[in-house]
Amino acid sequence: MNPEHILKVIEDHREGDQTGIISILEEIQAKYSYLPEEALRIIAQKLRCSLVDLYGVATFYKAFSLKPRGKHLISVCLGTACHVRGGEMIASEFQRQLGIKFGGTTPDNEITLETVNCLGACALGPIVVVDGHYFSNVTLQRVKEIIHKTQAGIDRVDIRSDERIFPVEVSCPRCNHSLMDKNKYIDGYPSIRVTVSFNLKHGWLRLSCLYGSFSVDHEYEVPLDEVVNFFCPYCHAELRSSSICADCGAPMVPLLVRTGGMVQICSRRGCKGHMLDLTGVNV
Amino acid sequence: MEKVKSLDEFLSLHDRLTVDKNPSLPTLIIPAGTCGQASGANDLIRITKRELLNKKLTEKIKLRITGCHGFCEMEPSILIEPWGVYYPKVDPKKMVDIVESVAKGEVLQNLLFIDPTTGNPIEKQVDIPFFKKQVRTLLSRNEKVDPIRIYNYIENNGYLAMAKTLSSSHPRQVIEEVKASGLRGRGGAGFPTGLKWERLANQTNGNGKFIVCNADEGDPGAYMDRSLLEGNPHSIIEGMIIGAYGTGATRGIIYVRNEYPLAIKHLLIALRQANQLGLLGENILGTGFSFDIKMVRGAGAFVCGEETALIKSIEGRMGEPRQRPPFPVEKGIQGQPTLINNVETWANIPIIMGSGAQEFAKVGTTENTGTKIFSLVGRIKNTGLVEVPMGIPIEEIVNQIGGGPIHQMKIKAVQTGGPSGGCIPAEMFHLPVDYERLTKAGSIMGSGGMIVMDEHTCMVDLAKYFTKFLKEESCGKCFICRKGTQRMYEILDDISAGRGTLEHLDLIEELGPIIKYASLCGLGQTSPNPVLSTLRYFREEYVEHIEKKRCPAGVCKDLITYTINENCTGCGLCLKSCSAEAIRGEKKERHAIDPKRCIKCGACQSVCKFSAVETR
Amino acid sequence: MITLYINGLPVSVEEGTTLLEAAQFMGFPIPTLCHKEGLSPYGACRLCLVEIGEGPKAKLVSSCTYPAEEGLQVRTASSRVIQARRIILELLLASCPQSKTIQDLASAYGIQRQRFKQEYENCILCGLCVRMCEEQMMAKAIGFRSRGEKRSIGTPFDIQSEDCRRCGACLYICPACELRCTYTEPERAICGACANLRPPCLEKEGVDDMMCYLSPCAACEIKKD
Repeated sequence: MNPEHILKVIEDHREGDQTGIISILEEIQAKYSYLPEEALRIIAQKLRCSLVDLYGVATFYKAFSLKPRGKHLISVCLGTACHVRGGEMIASEFQRQLGIKFGGTTPDNEITLETVNCLGACALGPIVVVDGHYFSNVTLQRVKEIIHKTQAGIDRVDIRSDERIFPVEVSCPRCNHSLMDKNKYIDGYPSIRVTVSFNLKHGWLRLSCLYGSFSVDHEYEVPLDEVVNFFCPYCHAELRSSSICADCGAPMVPLLVRTGGMVQICSRRGCKGHMLDLTGVNV
Repeated sequence: MEKVKSLDEFLSLHDRLTVDKNPSLPTLIIPAGTCGQASGANDLIRITKRELLNKKLTEKIKLRITGCHGFCEMEPSILIEPWGVYYPKVDPKKMVDIVESVAKGEVLQNLLFIDPTTGNPIEKQVDIPFFKKQVRTLLSRNEKVDPIRIYNYIENNGYLAMAKTLSSSHPRQVIEEVKASGLRGRGGAGFPTGLKWERLANQTNGNGKFIVCNADEGDPGAYMDRSLLEGNPHSIIEGMIIGAYGTGATRGIIYVRNEYPLAIKHLLIALRQANQLGLLGENILGTGFSFDIKMVRGAGAFVCGEETALIKSIEGRMGEPRQRPPFPVEKGIQGQPTLINNVETWANIPIIMGSGAQEFAKVGTTENTGTKIFSLVGRIKNTGLVEVPMGIPIEEIVNQIGGGPIHQMKIKAVQTGGPSGGCIPAEMFHLPVDYERLTKAGSIMGSGGMIVMDEHTCMVDLAKYFTKFLKEESCGKCFICRKGTQRMYEILDDISAGRGTLEHLDLIEELGPIIKYASLCGLGQTSPNPVLSTLRYFREEYVEHIEKKRCPAGVCKDLITYTINENCTGCGLCLKSCSAEAIRGEKKERHAIDPKRCIKCGACQSVCKFSAVETR
Repeated sequence: MITLYINGLPVSVEEGTTLLEAAQFMGFPIPTLCHKEGLSPYGACRLCLVEIGEGPKAKLVSSCTYPAEEGLQVRTASSRVIQARRIILELLLASCPQSKTIQDLASAYGIQRQRFKQEYENCILCGLCVRMCEEQMMAKAIGFRSRGEKRSIGTPFDIQSEDCRRCGACLYICPACELRCTYTEPERAICGACANLRPPCLEKEGVDDMMCYLSPCAACEIKKD
């Protein structure tokens, strides 16, 4: 846990009074998967609020955990609709198969199991959410499969066979020059070449043209979470749209799609935020 | 985006957007709220985009991604405008055919919705029984609007009511209009909204009034607010701007619960867009009126839906309710006058100011005007969100819109109002949905959750479930609620495990009403409702649990045994599924369950294809 | 001055007076548990409930927190109030039977049995210790944590607090019990009794006959050694 980071989070949320506390705690919880004791002490000291009050807030709300959570989070919905459709059985089955109780984490620190009181997808109950991914109409038989998928990684997709992944041909929205590079292939297709700059360094960046794949190749190693500036290698215009990434807040990079549309990707390294508009962006 | 600085600039923007260059072009509408995404709408969207790009159809077919339309049972679904064609439960593999058919202007008969009573396919959404009986004032807008495009909202006359109100109405007129509409708070209590606004407007103490949108929809089983926030966030913003103008508030807060990530995402985008366009912030449309909205996230506490606890949570403290007086309208956030209204209440405001109070009051009854969105879930055929006029009998919602029970079961009761409400038995389904009648029957309207129960639902188990929920969500400050819910749960647990006595029922009937009037806040005051109402209407189930140690619905684990009947073909599937190794049997011979080893997980029953596993 | 009616009798009080203060001024007995003069009112124990208003809108409120209103009708012993008090006392006995304060209150109202599962908790979460520590001792070393049945009182992270001065005020004011005597865990000690080695009962003769509600406490343990 980095004290510098904690102080930065406090600054980002500073409202001049105590009101930003819950959002500060939420950001720390999201980053470290729990609220470290040291972090709470720093916050109490910096915001000059009582540690007793802060500890009370940290223990009152279910979203916060004082113990580290596992790498993956499995939440079983126990809302009324899910309960009436057999949610309790599913919940017990998860407890049995993972060998832990609700609120607990597997000994290898991989999976934390939790219950949620209604996620609001009641028509599709019983619902289980794993790392933000929803599984609906879960039956007792599928519990095993869900646990396996969790351990393997929910986001894993098979690029070749997945129907939802397809190639796009893009060009610069300013000069309309094609950005495709037939000399360098990624994922079996011509890559997209752009120029990026960060920390006074300029270099090329090549992206997979498969929409849904996040493979990249780069001249210089870009540190995780760093926001970089994108440029067209031909007209040197900066590629930056007025939209910001819904996941992380960084500026989006627009690329014109040949057959009609605009794809935008997030300019933050490691962020998978993206948008594909077919009718063109704003009026 | 350029800021719009005056009413004229706004109106000309509105005119520019409403000139449709290609009115006859078909639009593929895919609902992708949380339900939609959970059932695979994202796959449909991807494949559609792929097809439109590859087949170069982007100029011929429009694609609109929206929030929930309401028929969640049938998602992922597709609606095609302007023809009104509806395809339910679309298989991603059929997406290519659908895109092709739209390009040709054809309808794929084999993919249409089949009417369960006639067996005939229905082409248009408006003809489907689920939709026919609804009055979809709010939900229909979810179909027309892409939630993350403000221009789309304005194109559909969004922000028009706000612009006109700010420029030509006096704040007092706004309050009079809302009072005349008869709108009552949709959060559950049904307090007249206009009156609440008037109280805030009359406050002269403090410096800086707050208005809050309570989006902490904590009732399990209710998700109307989620669909409004995800599908049409701008309508809430517009409602709040009008509300701030009418009451003199300067700061707005939308408090969204943590468990709704998509709603939070869409709200943040919408707030940013409204700010960029100049509809929020300083000197809105050059009228001199300034107002800004901030979003605050909840952190997983049902009690924070209660007004005074909500205020504490916004202030960054533990969500413990406090006694009233003073009321939030007098002393709320940081001691300032604060008005709190529910999401659905706010969503109705642009409609009232747009078409007028008289028009609004035409729907519903005299004391209960307008529509109400209910989340119809549980043991019913057509689960989803339904928007109906106030005063409609429950029977119509359950049978005509909901399509009746599943699997030929009989519907026993509906639960309204979530954990604060109670059950209404089937004999009373002629009751209209209005605030007073539901309260008299022992339940409450609540935020709109309507959970349908059939013979497979045990009322004791249901009361136990709600009481457990309340016990865990109680803030714990006042002794009677904390101990009362705990003790009620203990008794219900005993009854459902076969340890109950008739004296327990008397104890509940004595303790319950006292918890009701001795608790500090609404959570405690309504916590005995589930058990008291189930006891009132289904006493015989309780008695059977106690005297015969039997659970008639076959739910309470300690009172049921799993057995295999003569339908068994000896296929062995149950044996394989049993993790307790409690099933024995030879191939092709009737299997048997050893009750001593059986852990009652239900796995065998769920795999059996022959309905051979039953519970007694 | 505000005039209100308690049990039909008019009484005039200054603005800001609570119903409890007004009723006590008139001599009407109202039981309290979480209320203490000198500490801010809390309204948690619900014993001080009184009925206000008339007709169907009449409701019960905690008199220690409710401010006097002009013309308010208050009844300190209506049937609903008595029923509530009796059940609350029954529940208190069911959780914390060893507390003398609770025993005395229960016998004053004639509670002779309790019909719930017997528990032996040593804290009723009245919050007196929290308010004492914060308001009178100006330390704010202990507070509430969690919610519902998991709600408890303690120091942050359950370790010895730097703000705690071991004054023992929390122990002094607690109506329930032998709360927080941590003789066996000196690193978590709160009162200074062990450190001073002069617990009150050791100084007196014939100490075995003394009525003590703090058993087990440091004194008995020390006497044994």
